[in-house]
Amino acid sequence: MEPKFNIDRPKVSDEEINKHKDFEKLVKQFKEQSIDKAKHDKSWWKSKKVRYATVIAGATIVCTVTYLSLFNNTKDKSNETITTQNAQTTNNNNKQETGSRKQDLSRFISPPSEKLNIAYTNYKVDNAKGAELKHPSSSKIKIPKKAFVDKNGKEIVGEVTISYREFHNKADIIAGGIPMAYDSAGKKYNLESAGMFDILGTQNGEPVFIKEEVKVEFASANPQDRFNQYYLDTTERNWKYLRRDDLNNEGRTTKDELGAENSKAKNTKKLETLKREIEVIIPKKIDSMKVVYTNRASALPKPKEPLKPRKASGKQTFNIDASTSDFPELKAFGNFVFELGDENKNYSPDMNEITWHDIKISEGPKKGVNYLLTLRYNQRVEKLIVYPVMTGNDLAKAQSYYQEKFEVYQASLQKRENTEIALRKEMEQKQQAYVAEQAKKKAEYEKALIERERNKLDQMNKDFSNMGDQDKTTRIFGVAKFGIYNSDCPHFEAKSKPIAPVFTLNEKEKPIFPSSIFMINHTKNMVYTFPKENFGGIQYDENASISFVVFAKNKIYFVKKEDAAESISASSNKFKAVEITESSDNMADLRKALEI
Amino acid sequence: MPYNSKMSLKAANINPHYHHTGEQLNEELMIIEAAKLNPQRFAPLYDKYYKQIFNYLYQRMDDKDTAFDLTGQVFLKALTNLSNYQFKGVPFASWLYRIAHNEMMQLFRSTKDKRAINADISDLRYICEENEEPFFEEYIPAIKKLIQELKEEELQMVELRFFEKRAFKDIAEIMDITEVNAKVRMYRIIEKLKKQLSKLKT
Repeated sequence: MEPKFNIDRPKVSDEEINKHKDFEKLVKQFKEQSIDKAKHDKSWWKSKKVRYATVIAGATIVCTVTYLSLFNNTKDKSNETITTQNAQTTNNNNKQETGSRKQDLSRFISPPSEKLNIAYTNYKVDNAKGAELKHPSSSKIKIPKKAFVDKNGKEIVGEVTISYREFHNKADIIAGGIPMAYDSAGKKYNLESAGMFDILGTQNGEPVFIKEEVKVEFASANPQDRFNQYYLDTTERNWKYLRRDDLNNEGRTTKDELGAENSKAKNTKKLETLKREIEVIIPKKIDSMKVVYTNRASALPKPKEPLKPRKASGKQTFNIDASTSDFPELKAFGNFVFELGDENKNYSPDMNEITWHDIKISEGPKKGVNYLLTLRYNQRVEKLIVYPVMTGNDLAKAQSYYQEKFEVYQASLQKRENTEIALRKEMEQKQQAYVAEQAKKKAEYEKALIERERNKLDQMNKDFSNMGDQDKTTRIFGVAKFGIYNSDCPHFEAKSKPIAPVFTLNEKEKPIFPSSIFMINHTKNMVYTFPKENFGGIQYDENASISFVVFAKNKIYFVKKEDAAESISASSNKFKAVEITESSDNMADLRKALEI
Repeated sequence: MPYNSKMSLKAANINPHYHHTGEQLNEELMIIEAAKLNPQRFAPLYDKYYKQIFNYLYQRMDDKDTAFDLTGQVFLKALTNLSNYQFKGVPFASWLYRIAHNEMMQLFRSTKDKRAINADISDLRYICEENEEPFFEEYIPAIKKLIQELKEEELQMVELRFFEKRAFKDIAEIMDITEVNAKVRMYRIIEKLKKQLSKLKT
């Protein structure tokens, strides 16, 4: 029986799936099953060895219980010591990690300008009560009661300061100086972010630690469900994958997210038209060219090859008066006779003795080469295959006539072949023109598609501050330790030929000596950060539109997309930069330059 | 060589959702080893794969409740047989999928439940593209028919590769065959589909 086929069946919601998840039930079932199995499987008891082992084990248990009863207090204390030691070790590790974080930050996370850096918002939380904090961006930080401990693992008494900041767009990422390179099992990626946050906890300037998981409901402008959650491990100097992003965009208008409406209206019709042209109209035109060619080629007149005169070989011949108007191919033969073919097995010499009532000549199995001679005498009918042949002068005359006709035939054939070649060439040229048109439309389509996505993202970034809570997508993070968390999508690292860019200012081409370089991939909405040692080997995505932001001596410079493209296409390492601020503390100018 | 470079190029279409880094595989392995000793430690794997296994089953079935029941059964079977699990360098999910498939086929054999195929139009378009054939909406009924007529094993390959966009390594593990064998079988299916799809034009 054929399986049922459903197209575009609605998906089951995560909420419904989660409702059915019950791990405790699974473990219970597992235990019950194991007990049942054990009850039914008694073969093990039959073994003498098992029986002896059981007796010995029983005796050991009795001895152990007695020993533990006698020395219970001592043992408990030693256990306690071990536990405390472990706790101290863990906390010492935590302390080391936190203590070293500042040091790591200075090396690994390097904001290009302290003034431009994204500031923390501080919140006071009573550890005994916990809190639900609402950040101006609409993100929520949900802190359970007694969530924090000190470096010794002791519960914090009193208020804890939670320092929190968010990074939503390219300008924020640049200002924060957060590295976006990601190494996964040796493979290099760069992360495209749907938003990041940095969360820290202190009490009187001393770091505190998380004991009960803190939940951050991060309000993101990006509604797409293709991101993972990562934690920035400053010790490992790498992002650490946590899980698939936990997305909650209920209440928002999913596909028609901010910015999409406008760009959709503008571009969708154009995209649809282009797509139809690429996928339907042009392929049909290409196919129809072939049909036209085939029809025209088959309509060309087919020249008929003249029949070559044959010399009589001395076999039985029949002299029949066949009209050359019925068989025009015989015209060259003049006075010809029909000679018996070798293939006739039914021929016998006595046929020559019969006066046949009727004799008929018609086309033979090989049209234009042989003929069928039908002889009838009363009810007797004989069929013989015969060939037209000639003798003496008639042959020479026929051969000359044939030669003349054959030349005409060959000329016609050549003419036909030439016409066919011309038609084919014409078809191929037209097809190539259509293929070129298709490629052009494809490039136009891809460009329009990228433009639409970029507009959408840019629009989302621009509108983020104006968004209502209902328009933002909530990405839920479980925070088990303080640090930087990111909702990201990894992309393969750019693989162009490395360049050592020289950034120059104004017509005099005064060089800039950068302290930080950031490359922006506008096509994929990514920021690439480079350590100083890599300034001489920058690779970029050749298919993307890129620009640069350069920090030097407290100033910010910007290389426009058009200028970057011009330098790249000219294989020049000189990039024309413009200063975008008087001093590098103007976030608004940076956003403007990045079209945010 | 039965499989060509085109197939490897198409690896770009692999669903990254199923991809695991070495670090993630190690992490999983540690959880598995711990769960062999204590079933409570199985929780992270249950959490991680419940949705995937449910979706895998529901993708091939019509009845949602049966799919949920069967999902529970798959995890129970996995936990029961966890001591036999051997790490082969692929995500633990592959083993779960194999159990899921066996359980599902068992169900179809023993009950009146019917195998179902669920696909999006984009999946059908992808099949055409993979076979270098244009896709038109008018083709949908014919493509559906083509897929319905495939043998169970071929259908399974098509679902894993085209609908779920899995890597050959994962397909091989789920179907308990070698990766090379998976590619060869896929190549044959593509050839078969190609032949049939090209007829749609005429």
